[in-house]
Amino acid sequence: MIRVEKVTKRYGATLAVDNASFEVAKGEVVGFLGPNGAGKTTTMRIITGSLGATEGEVSLDGKDVAAHPRETKARIGYLPEVPPLYGDMTVRNYVRFAARLKGVEDIKGATEKVVAKVGLTKVAHRIVDHLSKGYRQRVGLAQALVHDPEVLILDEPYSGLDPAQRVEIRELLEQLVNENRTIILSTHVLADIEALAQKVVIINAGKIVGQGPIQELLAGMMDRRRVVVQVKKPCEEALAALSAVESVLEVDPDPGGVYNLITSDECRAAVASAAVPFGLLALSGEGRLEDVYLHLTRKQK
Amino acid sequence: MRNILAIAQREVRAYFATPVGWICMFGFLALSGLFFALFTMLYAEEAANQTFNPYMGNQLNMDEYLVAPFWGNTYIILLFICPGLTMRLFAEDVKSRSMELLLTSPVSTMEIVLGKYLGAMGYITVILACTLHYPAIWFWLGDPDPGVMASSYLAVFLLAGSYCAVGMMFSAFTSNQIVSVVLSFGTLLVLWILGWGSELAGGTLSEILEFASLVNRMESLTKGLVHSKDLIYYFSFIGFFLWVTYQRVEAYRWR
Repeated sequence: MIRVEKVTKRYGATLAVDNASFEVAKGEVVGFLGPNGAGKTTTMRIITGSLGATEGEVSLDGKDVAAHPRETKARIGYLPEVPPLYGDMTVRNYVRFAARLKGVEDIKGATEKVVAKVGLTKVAHRIVDHLSKGYRQRVGLAQALVHDPEVLILDEPYSGLDPAQRVEIRELLEQLVNENRTIILSTHVLADIEALAQKVVIINAGKIVGQGPIQELLAGMMDRRRVVVQVKKPCEEALAALSAVESVLEVDPDPGGVYNLITSDECRAAVASAAVPFGLLALSGEGRLEDVYLHLTRKQK
Repeated sequence: MRNILAIAQREVRAYFATPVGWICMFGFLALSGLFFALFTMLYAEEAANQTFNPYMGNQLNMDEYLVAPFWGNTYIILLFICPGLTMRLFAEDVKSRSMELLLTSPVSTMEIVLGKYLGAMGYITVILACTLHYPAIWFWLGDPDPGVMASSYLAVFLLAGSYCAVGMMFSAFTSNQIVSVVLSFGTLLVLWILGWGSELAGGTLSEILEFASLVNRMESLTKGLVHSKDLIYYFSFIGFFLWVTYQRVEAYRWR
């Protein structure tokens, strides 16, 4: 549905996005990951059509976003990292204004629907500037959803929220995922990506360094999987014993008897038996998205 | 058109939701009210004096000695309030990032520019509508020319439109409202002063300055003479600054 083809964006001499290509299928939820300043926001803005690419093309169902801005923008909902709010308006008037701009026919109906959906009914009459950050984020989301777009692009929807507000927004996101929309979600909360997305695209220093279904990426990491062992009596011998286990590539001790191991295959049983004499307390070793992310984004440096 | 109106309506509402709108309105009405009262009283006094001098009495013309100078002074008030009105049009949107709503909506750059401009002009229309009782009082007291009155309103509207076009352009070039207001006020002041220069300078220079002066061109309009060349001048002036603003906003997509 969305096709990003060899997109490059230069700001003067700085290369923000370097020859990025990826595709998002209809109804797919894609996690867009990368360190701060990697070019995530720039890429997302290019997809929304609010920023022009220096080279390359983004198309929505085969229609070039830059050549058909009106058509494509009407089908995309975008929540930037800082929600694009007019602080002097009431929530309801703001959402109505957004609905009008986005070409919604039944402005009143669409506004009330989305206001209820994102949980703003109670504050709908209040001035946007007087709302808490969590509510402001919801107003931003209402703006992105008011025209019932097929594609939703969310840039750091949790930024600046406290844990309770984060849970609330997360619940809203779950609801949106279940509505069969095509979603590109950028966030540093990898646990949420794992829970919500089927696919990830990882960008680092403007380049796409990894993409694909989460399970595949995890499988690709099998030759460097992480195992964390905690023992009661940490000592030099424990370190030596763990290092001696076949297929353990690296051992990195942490305070509190924690050892971070990098292993080349499934060897948890061997690691466990090596650790038992030193009082094994805990052992964990599932492949995690975090490992993939760190591996791919650090490799480049 | 729907988008232009939506943006314009939002801007007009924003003026009345923030202190800037009310302060400018209060300033404009208080000062123009003061000028109105003073000029009307002075004119009445002069008229009373001249009733004893029938020859001079014929010389005293309400349009020339009351209406024209009154509007001449409102031009100065506009010089101060228009930069204040337009400073936020783009600067605030860029700073608060609400520009992103406009840029990601199915709205063209031209619609954004025209919407914002119409918003400012809508506000100007509201404050000018609040001055309609001045001519009403003049018609009640005396016998001014309705044509002159209409063309005076047209003149003040065109001048405000020109000022707002300049102010909006500067607002699009900075995200700092103070910078925007200073640059637009400075530019308008220079354009104002050019008019004085045209009287001092001689020859071709005088003609050039006369051409560049926004205010000198007002004279014939305030006398009730609506020349198409003057209208074309103001419309081209406004059009030029709207075009520059358009180019600038279009460039937002490239930075």
